[in-house]
Amino acid sequence: MATKPRSESAVNALRMIPTKWAVILLGILIVYVVLQPRLNQWFGWNLPSVASMVGDEKPAKATNKKGESTKNETSRNDTAKPTKKGNDVEPDLEKESNPETASSKKKPAEKTKTAEEADEEREQPISTLGKSQNNNPSQPTKTATKPKNESDESDPLYGFLTEVGRNRYESPAGLVYGPGSEEGHRLKHIARHLEDQPDRPGSHGVFKGSMKAFLTTIDEGYARAKKGAKGTTKKEDDGLVVYEITFEKAIGFIGGEAGGRKKNPATKKLRLVVRGSNVITAFPF
Amino acid sequence: MTAPLIYVESCPVCGDGLCRIRVCITDQRLNGCVLCDECEAVWTDPSLQERVSRKPDADDPQCPGCGQSLWSKNAHWANIGEVCLLGWYDRVRVVSAKEG
Repeated sequence: MATKPRSESAVNALRMIPTKWAVILLGILIVYVVLQPRLNQWFGWNLPSVASMVGDEKPAKATNKKGESTKNETSRNDTAKPTKKGNDVEPDLEKESNPETASSKKKPAEKTKTAEEADEEREQPISTLGKSQNNNPSQPTKTATKPKNESDESDPLYGFLTEVGRNRYESPAGLVYGPGSEEGHRLKHIARHLEDQPDRPGSHGVFKGSMKAFLTTIDEGYARAKKGAKGTTKKEDDGLVVYEITFEKAIGFIGGEAGGRKKNPATKKLRLVVRGSNVITAFPF
Repeated sequence: MTAPLIYVESCPVCGDGLCRIRVCITDQRLNGCVLCDECEAVWTDPSLQERVSRKPDADDPQCPGCGQSLWSKNAHWANIGEVCLLGWYDRVRVVSAKEG
């Protein structure tokens, strides 16, 4: 015997219940349809869409972790729930580094990757840094004006930085990321803060979001701090300038051993250390 | 088996870094200093009393003993033996790397 189509049986079921209840159920359904994507976005839930419940469509993923950075708001919204996520960047250390360092930094995060994280991974291009990009001075410099549809996947500058010299990249706010640090490049160094290091003594600030969102957040903070805007401080220390910027929303969480002991509290604060306009480091704290 | 992490304390400048012992070997001489692994502030010894200023045009932190970049191939994080040679063993904390 042939089975009835699902939609037909649903209609028959609706006919069997009183009109009043049918209207109420319909109302609830409409409210769910409207609120489902927003709830997913606000709370990072993964409520299935009506379409996915009725048909074979896969449940929609939480919409607040898209790789595309409309603004860093996107990534900052994620931070209510700190997780030890896999980095979207695996810096490829080029300088001779002590094995102890490498081991302490490369502890794998003990969490399975989600689809969102995989998306973010595709955004990362740092591994190419320090491998002498654009060594040819005659070659045109890469800029942030690159068409969006080329995607940031293969762009070591995240569609955000401008190459201003050999391995030196400038942000729209004027911060320069150049060679230096144990990792060989400042971008690789700050990328350490996209991942928790739970065994590291003390605290280790972790930005919750992609590298591009991190760079955008740093830039936004720097622009505000330079103006002396509310919620920012500046401290000079032997050539180093340490800016502290408080954002409206959480940007990350406190990791490391100390953060872990406090159950990785979320934080709205960013500390940026520069020498002139050269970035030394930046991290949530 | 990974080497232990040797550090003095959290960095008083940036708050997130660890002040670690960095050594460089020049002319068969071991030079030691304390270097923050986050903000690259340098001190002459684990008392963290005397900061080492960086030349304005220098990209990298410099060894107070020989002036070379502390990120050069001649420099590395000190192991326990080197910390002992510098006479600083009782001023550092040693954290064993956890296996697996």
